[in-house]
Amino acid sequence: MIEQAKDPVLEIHDLTVSYDRKPVLWDVDLTLPAGQLIGIVGPNGAGKSTLIKSIMGLTPNSSGYVKLFDKNLKDVRGKISYVPQKESVDWDFPASVLDVVLMGRYGKLGLFKRPRKADKDVAMDALRKVGMEAYINRQISQLSGGQQQRVFLARALAQQADLYFMDEPFAGVDAATEKAIITLLREMSARGNTVVVVHHDLQSVTQYFDWVIMLNMRLIASGPTEKVFNTELLQETYGGKLTLLSDVGELIRRERFPSREQKRKKELKQKK
Amino acid sequence: MNALQIIIAGSLVAISCGLLGCFLILRKMAMVGDAISHAVLPGIVIAFMLTGSRDSVTMLLGAGVIGVLTTFLIEFFHTKGKLQTDASIGVTFTWLFAIGVILISVFAGKVDLDQECVLYGEIAYVPLDLWITDTGTIMGPRVIYISASVLVILLLFIGFGYKELFLTTFDPAYASAIGISTITWHYLLMGAVSLTTVASFEAVGAILVVALLIAPPATAYLLVDDFKKMLILTSVLGVIVSVCGYYLAAWLDGSIAGAMAAVSGFFFGVAFIYNRLMVKKSSKVKPSKTAI
Repeated sequence: MIEQAKDPVLEIHDLTVSYDRKPVLWDVDLTLPAGQLIGIVGPNGAGKSTLIKSIMGLTPNSSGYVKLFDKNLKDVRGKISYVPQKESVDWDFPASVLDVVLMGRYGKLGLFKRPRKADKDVAMDALRKVGMEAYINRQISQLSGGQQQRVFLARALAQQADLYFMDEPFAGVDAATEKAIITLLREMSARGNTVVVVHHDLQSVTQYFDWVIMLNMRLIASGPTEKVFNTELLQETYGGKLTLLSDVGELIRRERFPSREQKRKKELKQKK
Repeated sequence: MNALQIIIAGSLVAISCGLLGCFLILRKMAMVGDAISHAVLPGIVIAFMLTGSRDSVTMLLGAGVIGVLTTFLIEFFHTKGKLQTDASIGVTFTWLFAIGVILISVFAGKVDLDQECVLYGEIAYVPLDLWITDTGTIMGPRVIYISASVLVILLLFIGFGYKELFLTTFDPAYASAIGISTITWHYLLMGAVSLTTVASFEAVGAILVVALLIAPPATAYLLVDDFKKMLILTSVLGVIVSVCGYYLAAWLDGSIAGAMAAVSGFFFGVAFIYNRLMVKKSSKVKPSKTAI
C-alpha cells in the first residue's frame, strides 16, 4: 500500500542500491509530504539506513533517482540536514560540544571561511533548543549517550534546514531524552519542517509519526500512519520473524486508536 | 652555533610532522603515515637520479606523487581486493620501500645518497650542508630552508583548510552530506604528509620520521581535550624533543635522530602514566550525577 503525497518534498523513483552486486534496496518508489514527522520502520538489514544514505548521496545508486524539492541534491544541499547514527563517530575526539554544533554551519560558510559571531549565536540557539546550553565547553567524550544524541540534533538544527533525515535518533538514549527529542521533532514539523526518522521501536510508532514508511529491502508501505500501520502490513514487513508481532497487533487494536475504536463500537451499538 | 642550527632544523621537522600526525592519529591512519614515509624512498631515489641534486623541487614533487600513489594503492587493495586495511598497508609500503633500497644499492656508486643517510638521517651534518647562491653568498644550512618552507606551506594548508580538515576527520559521512568532499581533503592531507616526510628524511631518516609523526601527537592527545590545544602542544613538544634529543645525543655521543625519537617516546610514556593516574584519581571521586 503506497500512497503518493501531493506536492512532495521528496520523490524517490525506482531506487535500487546494492553492495557488492547484492541488492540492499530494491525498486523503491515513493513520495513524501511536507511538514510531517515521518518514520521509517523495518527489520534489521531492511535497508533503512541505506535509504537515508542514498538520499544524501553517501552510497551510489545502482538505478533510479532521488529528487528533493523537485531538484537534485546538489542544488538544494543547504535546505537538507542529516543526523548520522551516533555510533558512526569517535566520541573520544578532542572536540567540545560547541565545536561539533558549529560544524552545522560549515556548509553555509563555504571554503576557507571561519565561523563568525552570527554562526555561534545560531549554534547556541540550537543548543538551547535541545537543552544542552550548559555544556558548550564540555568535551564530547564526557557526555552520556542521550547528551551525545542531543548534540548531534543541535548540529542538524544549526543548519537551519527544511528537511531533516535522522538515522536512529532514539537508539541508546534514556527515556527523558527520547521525550525531549520527540517534543522537539513535533515542534519542528509544526513549523513546517519535514523530519524523516529511522525508527526501531514499533510500540511508539503510532504515537510519534504522521506518516510511516515500511521497508524490507523493497518498499512494503508508505502512507499516513493510521492507514498503513496495521497488522497485515507489519506481517508483510517483518515476515513473521517478529515473535512479538501478534502482541504489537494486539496493542494497536486495544490501545493505539482508542477514540476511533470506541466511536465505532458506539455506532455499532446504536445501529443495533 | 652548530648546536643551534641542528636544534632549529630538528624543531622545524618535528613541528611539521607533529601537526600532520595530529590529523593522522585521529583519522586512525597513523600507520598510513608510516607507510608513506617509507614508500617515498623510491621516489626520492628516482628523482635524485633524474635531477642529480638533493634540493630540487622536482624531487619533492616526485616523492609527493609516490606518496599519494601509496595511499591510493592502499585504498585500492582495501576496497577492490577486500584486503584488511593493515594487510593492505603492509603489502604496499614494504614493496615500494624495497624497490627504493634496491635502487640505492644498485646505483650507490653513481648517486650521492647512501642507505645510512636515507634510513637513519644525518641531522649532525646540517651545519655542513650549506646553501650557497650562484654569486657565492653563503645563506646557511640548506635543510633549515627546506624544512622552514615546508612548515610554512603546512601552516597555510592547515590554517585555510582547518574547518574542512577538522570535520572530515571527525565525521566524514556528515561532511559529505553537507557537500564537503572527503576524498579531496583525504588526498590533500596525504600529499602534505608525503611532502613533509620527503623534506624530513634527510634530517631524521625515513624510519625515525614516523616517531615524530606519531609520538608527539599521541602524547598531546593524552594530555588535552581540545583539538587546537592538541596542535599547539604537539608543536611545543616538537621543539622540546629536538632540544632534549640534541643534548642527550651530545652527552652520549650517539645518534641525534635516534636520541630525538627516544626522547619523544619517553615523553609519551610520562604522559601515559600521568593520564592513568588522573583517571584513577577521578574514578575515586564519586561519579557526579550525569544530567540527561
